[in-house]
Amino acid sequence: MVSTALRPDPMGPPVPARQRTEIALRDVCVRYPVSGSTSKTVLSCVDLEIFAGEFVVVLGETGCGKSTLLRLILGEEFPTSGSVTVDGKPVTRIDSRSGYVPQKYSLFPDRTVLGNVIYGPENACSRVLGRIRPSFWRFHRSLKSDARVFLERMGLRSQDMDKYPHQLSGGMQQRVAIAQALMMRPPVLLMDEPFSALDPSTRGSLQEQLHALWRETRPTVVFVTHNTSEALLLGTRLVLLGRHYEEDASRSNVLLDLELPTSRLPFARRKQSPEFQELRERIKLLAYKSSLMNRAEGPVEFPKAADPQ
Amino acid sequence: MTIKKPFRPGDLIDIQVRPVRLWTQSLSWLLFLAGIVLYAQFSISRHRENPEDRVVPSLNQLVQGVKASVLEPAEEDDPIDSNAALFERLRHSMLWKDTVASARRFFIALALLLPAVLLGLHMAVFPYADAVFLRFVLFLDKIIALSLLPILFIVFGIEEWSKIMLMVIGVAPTLILDTCNISRSVPREQIVKAFTLKSTNADVAYRVILKQVMPQIINSVRLNLKPLALFLFAGEMIASTDGLAYRIAIMRRHMGMDIILPYLLWVALLLFVLDSLLRFANRRLHPWFQPL
Repeated sequence: MVSTALRPDPMGPPVPARQRTEIALRDVCVRYPVSGSTSKTVLSCVDLEIFAGEFVVVLGETGCGKSTLLRLILGEEFPTSGSVTVDGKPVTRIDSRSGYVPQKYSLFPDRTVLGNVIYGPENACSRVLGRIRPSFWRFHRSLKSDARVFLERMGLRSQDMDKYPHQLSGGMQQRVAIAQALMMRPPVLLMDEPFSALDPSTRGSLQEQLHALWRETRPTVVFVTHNTSEALLLGTRLVLLGRHYEEDASRSNVLLDLELPTSRLPFARRKQSPEFQELRERIKLLAYKSSLMNRAEGPVEFPKAADPQ
Repeated sequence: MTIKKPFRPGDLIDIQVRPVRLWTQSLSWLLFLAGIVLYAQFSISRHRENPEDRVVPSLNQLVQGVKASVLEPAEEDDPIDSNAALFERLRHSMLWKDTVASARRFFIALALLLPAVLLGLHMAVFPYADAVFLRFVLFLDKIIALSLLPILFIVFGIEEWSKIMLMVIGVAPTLILDTCNISRSVPREQIVKAFTLKSTNADVAYRVILKQVMPQIINSVRLNLKPLALFLFAGEMIASTDGLAYRIAIMRRHMGMDIILPYLLWVALLLFVLDSLLRFANRRLHPWFQPL
């Protein structure tokens, strides 16, 4: 069993109290039929409780079930067995309890930046027939000005607001996608490798911005990534998915679930902290062992060296 | 900056060559020019052997044919006073009458294809609609529409509706399947995102998917203009008393190539203009669309 207990840093600010369970996965298994009677187990016996206001980063190598886990919470997929609840209610379909930022295709190409950002609040305010009322158009104007302010905070210039998504860079598109999701003030924000296609400098600035927004509004964030540094930089809690090298190799599961001590440090100092470096090496080793198990269909000799590189 | 290089014969089979605009514009007219030259040559040689030849009309015969089509009424209609105003003569001319008759059928059929687009969209979006209709439409698509003509004549009579329904039945299955495939190509992420942004099923179907695929549907309609005209011509040639194809069929009996050729070019021009209008409208209405 992997130890998840890490000593809290006495010098850091207190970790937010775990008061209310926002998302709960209980004994969740996901199997896909492959051919004939055979099936592939993607997730097996996953038990995960995510508390309101947490920033949970789900880390793991390709194909370990990170995105499947996200889709389960989203309601896009359903477990073969077990249950998924958000805010105490079972997830039976995709709804507005969760905001969603995918890696790509995150914006509607036929709408301008502003149109994309106000799409959700517009829907929330009224249905099609309600849009013929003058009160809707008053609301629409105020919505647009709110969206402009929000987008400017996200680093967009006023001349970018009326552009279509294809006229924006990848980084800008993801900024708009985050703004689009956050305009709805969702209690849960699900992000599926949102920065993986961006260059390091854009990624860095977006990470900082996302962290600032999360600190301000404190939604529960589930952030899927395969980048260890990104995970340690952003999260308050880390869930490492992979195959248990000590148990049955055919099962994909939670390898590690720990509160990140780095989250108590100021954002700018996190990367340089010794905790960050130590955790990164530890996670890399765990992931490496798991990936070896993934390739070999049985117990393998693990390297003694601490650095898998 | 483009590097200007002199033309070499090897450029003709070079993938990486970048021809200058003047060259591409000139080359695009080359085959038209070649066609005209060949026709003129063939026509001259035939008229040298037989000055009364009507199979390959001379330029003079063609001009007379165009004049007759544009300014004279059809044989079956009452003659118009030769001193009448030009507009009045045009309005009662054979070409105008036939064009209006064919265009009416064509546009009614085009309007009736709107439900086909909606059905294709619904099949792509709503799984139950897909379950009910897909297999049937796939089967319908394999039926040769022209073989249904006798049935259509029995059901709708030999008047307008049999021809219109032939066009609709001929093109609808292709348009349904095409719309369905296009709508399915909308990334799943967009649909998921729309639901998280409080969209209803109708919002997702019409405000997210239909709006996004509209340019591609218009392109699909553009590609189907010719099959639509083909079915129109088939219907008109078999049972009609007016229309562009009816006139071509009548003129064939009289070896009236001086009328048939301008009619063919007129039909091609009409379809070309309609296609261009749709393309222009598509660009103006959907400036965000990025074709592959």
